Amino acid sequence: MTRQEIEVRIYDIFRDQFEIENPGPDEDLREVHGFDSIDAIELLIEIEKLLQVQLDQETKKDAMTRIRTINGICDYVEEFLPSTRVAGAGK
Amino acid sequence: MDRRVVITAASAITPVGNSKEKIVDSLTKGVSGIRPLRDDDLFADYLHCRVYGTIEDPVEYGFDRKFRKTMGPVSFYACKVVKELLAWSGLDPDFISSGRLGVAFGSTHGSPSVQRRIYKAFFQQDANLAGAIGAVDYLKSMVHTTAVNITKMFHITGRVICSSTACTTSSQSIGFGYEMVKYGMQDAMICGGADEYDTTTVAVFDNLLACSTSYNDRPHLTPRPFDSDRDGLVVAEGAGAVLLEEYESAKKRGARILGEIIGFSCNNNGGDLILPNLEGITGTIGLGLQSAGISPGEVDFISAHATATKMGDVIESRAIEKIYGKSPLVAGLKSYTGHTMASCGVIETIFTLYMMEKGFIAPTLHLENIDPRCAGISHVTELTEVPVKIASIQNFAFGGVNTSLLIKAFKP
Repeated sequence: MTRQEIEVRIYDIFRDQFEIENPGPDEDLREVHGFDSIDAIELLIEIEKLLQVQLDQETKKDAMTRIRTINGICDYVEEFLPSTRVAGAGK
Repeated sequence: MDRRVVITAASAITPVGNSKEKIVDSLTKGVSGIRPLRDDDLFADYLHCRVYGTIEDPVEYGFDRKFRKTMGPVSFYACKVVKELLAWSGLDPDFISSGRLGVAFGSTHGSPSVQRRIYKAFFQQDANLAGAIGAVDYLKSMVHTTAVNITKMFHITGRVICSSTACTTSSQSIGFGYEMVKYGMQDAMICGGADEYDTTTVAVFDNLLACSTSYNDRPHLTPRPFDSDRDGLVVAEGAGAVLLEEYESAKKRGARILGEIIGFSCNNNGGDLILPNLEGITGTIGLGLQSAGISPGEVDFISAHATATKMGDVIESRAIEKIYGKSPLVAGLKSYTGHTMASCGVIETIFTLYMMEKGFIAPTLHLENIDPRCAGISHVTELTEVPVKIASIQNFAFGGVNTSLLIKAFKP
């Protein structure tokens, strides 16, 4: 899965799950779109589904400080790519 | 510091209408809100009771996702009635967020439909079941979900009271809100309660043999408070809210005053958690009158709790007779809506306010043959045009909790 493909999936999640349309890649999601800690937890569940993995508690706590922008989220997902399979990728 | 407390706005979602106009129309025309029980994916098919007080009129919410994400159906109802209440009130947004406006609001369970989803996840015996419970499920299903979703949506920063005492939930909300304002802890309170459509509540009363079961093919003829042919209560959904304000500040801002709260009482039977108790109910009626500083003869109308259970109506009739004799007119407004549980107290208060304003008392529906054991009081059996100066709203709950609210037509 390419970076571009990851971005498409993340944007889909933001549109469908969080009703946030096309946020800027480096916009602060909390400040600009009211994306709060509850949303961040829900996003991690979506990322778990996407990657077909179960993230441990420490990984999630670490993620909470990093997923403030779309680019930050995509960076986070990319870190898991070498060792995991992205759900639905390569269809 | 004792201050006068007035009601300056009211809003309700009920099985007989969601607007004042529709509710008054239903009360004057004898419209029942009881309908066939809907099928669910759990146990509706196994219940003996097949009727429910159902909200049929569409409700437009228009809430953003940032609010919806922590709301179960019960909070949708709660926030909707408060949204209308605040829009109608004309309260200054600065005051709403000043810390001097509080919220007293509750429900019976939080959101039972969300709780049901949580239980399903547990019972699936999936290794990942913990992950199946969304981050917001607790916020949707916790007991104070209605109160805090209201504070979030409307930026309310004052006190939060969340009574959750089944059928006295919202009468306590009003009573405790009244005391907050009366004694100066807050200058205004949003008070009420809500319960969503929920068949588990029907199951509870069904298993206690307390539900109506003989009118499943004629839902609009039950419940029948005080009638010889009553056979139990009918569970219902609903929501209601009233805005209580300190009189001087309400007058200063030119608020329209719907009525004045002049007394409130709450006690407990101190024993059985289910059976109605004559001593306890008589006690709370007496304490309510004492709180208002009035004599029994000054009360014109009583909105009885009147669930239409076999014993509940008899005990309540005897308590009213003991304190009041035949002086006030008595009606059981659940005959229109069914038992809206956490919201019954506030809905019956709002119905009473509307009737006081319009100068009529709606009869207890289906009261064709008064049970001789309930005959010692003055039942309203037909639409009665009469001015009501002082009314009492009585509510009693599982757990032995009893409340009495005294409201008065407003005079400056």
